[in-house]
Amino acid sequence: MSLRQSMAGLHTWGGLLPSWLLFVIFFAGSIACFDKELERWMRPAVHEPAGHSLSLDQVRDILLAKAPDAHAIWIRPPSEREPFFWAGYEPADESEFVRLALDPATGEVMPETVGGLFFFTLHYDLNAGMIGMYIVAIAAMFMLVALISGIIIHRRIFKDFFTLRPDANGQRAWLDAHNLFGVVGLPFHLLIAYTGLAIFVVFYMPAAIQQAYKGNAEEFFRDVMGAYEREDVKRPAPPAASLDALVAEAHRHWGGNETGWLSVHHPGDEAAVVDIRRYNRSQIVDFQWTLSFDAASGELLHEQKPYSAGYASYAWLTNLHMAQFGGQIVRALYLLLGLMGCAMLVSGLQVWLRKREARGGYGIGLVRALNGAVVGGLPVASLALLYGNRLIPADMAARGSAETWVFVGAWLLVAVWAVLRRNSGKVARDVLLALAVLALGLPLLNALVTPQGSLLTTLGRGDWDLAGIDLVLLFSGVVCALAARRLSLPQVEKAPRRRRLVEESA
Amino acid sequence: MLVLSFAFCYLAMVCLALAMSRQHKLVFSGAPSESRSRLLRIGAVLAMAVGLALAMVQLGGEIGGVIWLCQLMLAGLLLVALLAWKARWVLPLVAVLPVTGGLLALV
Repeated sequence: MSLRQSMAGLHTWGGLLPSWLLFVIFFAGSIACFDKELERWMRPAVHEPAGHSLSLDQVRDILLAKAPDAHAIWIRPPSEREPFFWAGYEPADESEFVRLALDPATGEVMPETVGGLFFFTLHYDLNAGMIGMYIVAIAAMFMLVALISGIIIHRRIFKDFFTLRPDANGQRAWLDAHNLFGVVGLPFHLLIAYTGLAIFVVFYMPAAIQQAYKGNAEEFFRDVMGAYEREDVKRPAPPAASLDALVAEAHRHWGGNETGWLSVHHPGDEAAVVDIRRYNRSQIVDFQWTLSFDAASGELLHEQKPYSAGYASYAWLTNLHMAQFGGQIVRALYLLLGLMGCAMLVSGLQVWLRKREARGGYGIGLVRALNGAVVGGLPVASLALLYGNRLIPADMAARGSAETWVFVGAWLLVAVWAVLRRNSGKVARDVLLALAVLALGLPLLNALVTPQGSLLTTLGRGDWDLAGIDLVLLFSGVVCALAARRLSLPQVEKAPRRRRLVEESA
Repeated sequence: MLVLSFAFCYLAMVCLALAMSRQHKLVFSGAPSESRSRLLRIGAVLAMAVGLALAMVQLGGEIGGVIWLCQLMLAGLLLVALLAWKARWVLPLVAVLPVTGGLLALV
């Protein structure tokens, strides 16, 4: 078997099997480019621009009232994309980190929602914790393998660079599309798969760190990032210095006024430390420049040194993946390129299917069912999640998990539909129709339930972050409706091009 | 400025495509001569360089470079879609994009 033949087999099967998983990762990752905008869309309390009457000291008091003996408390002041306080604490019993979103005007905890963060977590661990992270990593490895083997088997890579023949027979047209999305987007695909793996490399290949640091990975991170830590002394803390004053001091120190996460470690202890991080997105590497203060006296204990070369290159690679630099334009470009990745996966699945439909083969029904269930189900479920966000009552207990169940329920529904009707040839049309109805209805529902966030209002005050979401929904709704209409028209068997030309000239 | 940079990315992709005989036949009649192909390829490299320079002037080398690469990929995708469905629009867009970009840069 020649190299090309063996790579072709590898590409076909090594590409097919993880492709549904990769579709989920790509789709969720593309949406996660705008996770903070979605987060705000899903929190009607912060639709209208409000003044921030809350001070950091008040937020600290709110947190300490909830958890007086917390290990650490974390606060993130409002920013342009997220105009509200994130606050959280690590409970004394070492249970899960508690995360709260505070209304900037009143200090009330806002109604629970999974928010835009849902898509971000879905993207890197499928909301399944450590195991999910490993599954995603394996899929990313497969992606790299499929990319490299794809390059090897695509022998006319330069000759066919600009070739797309939508009028050709089914398999040919899909293969053109698959090659096109794969080759034109190759720099992005390679970058995103590689840097995606690099982000969690210490979890995948921990041996060196475990060996050098005797199993204490946290200490490794403190070393490479130049962070500071002080042990608690088990004596009650004297009255704390004002956090607002410390932040003002930090701003003076680094000559800027954007603040990232700030934290107070063992706040109830005499050795409590306040860490204040700079928020800087002017470069790809976001050096956080953490300043550590004594929580009581306000004395500057430690100033973080710029990252060493090793950590700086790691940060460069990971931040290149996460697109938190360069503003909305970079996020928009990443979104489009991510959707191009989805298109590459879908067209690849179609190539597999068309080839076997033509010459017969096993597994066709299964692939068809999974195509409908995953490629159709995920977008429908994502829209359903947004419906759930608006329709579930704000004061419901465990509101976040109710939203998740809406997402899961909608997905299961589509999956059952796709499996039952897998051989009807109508699943794509059904799903597109459902998507069109859901996407076009959502801005309407938004206007009815939350008038302060309706498209007309947000456009009126030039709030493009919120308006953009509604506009994108409307646009995708129209596109899906047109596509559904096209699919439901009676399929005319296309005559080969040459014969058509002869007929026209005759 | 970024629209202008995108215009040059698109121009570069058009030059590259037209240097090939199949795409050249689609837009003009007949295949390009060898010297014409070479000229178009040189033009493509130049247009890419101008696009990169514009993005870097706007946003610095690091972020400008990333944006330029993203724009180049999307320009390629746009061009192929046009070649497949609306080949008549390929050349007009070469003029429309920089004019729009230039106007936006002036405003």
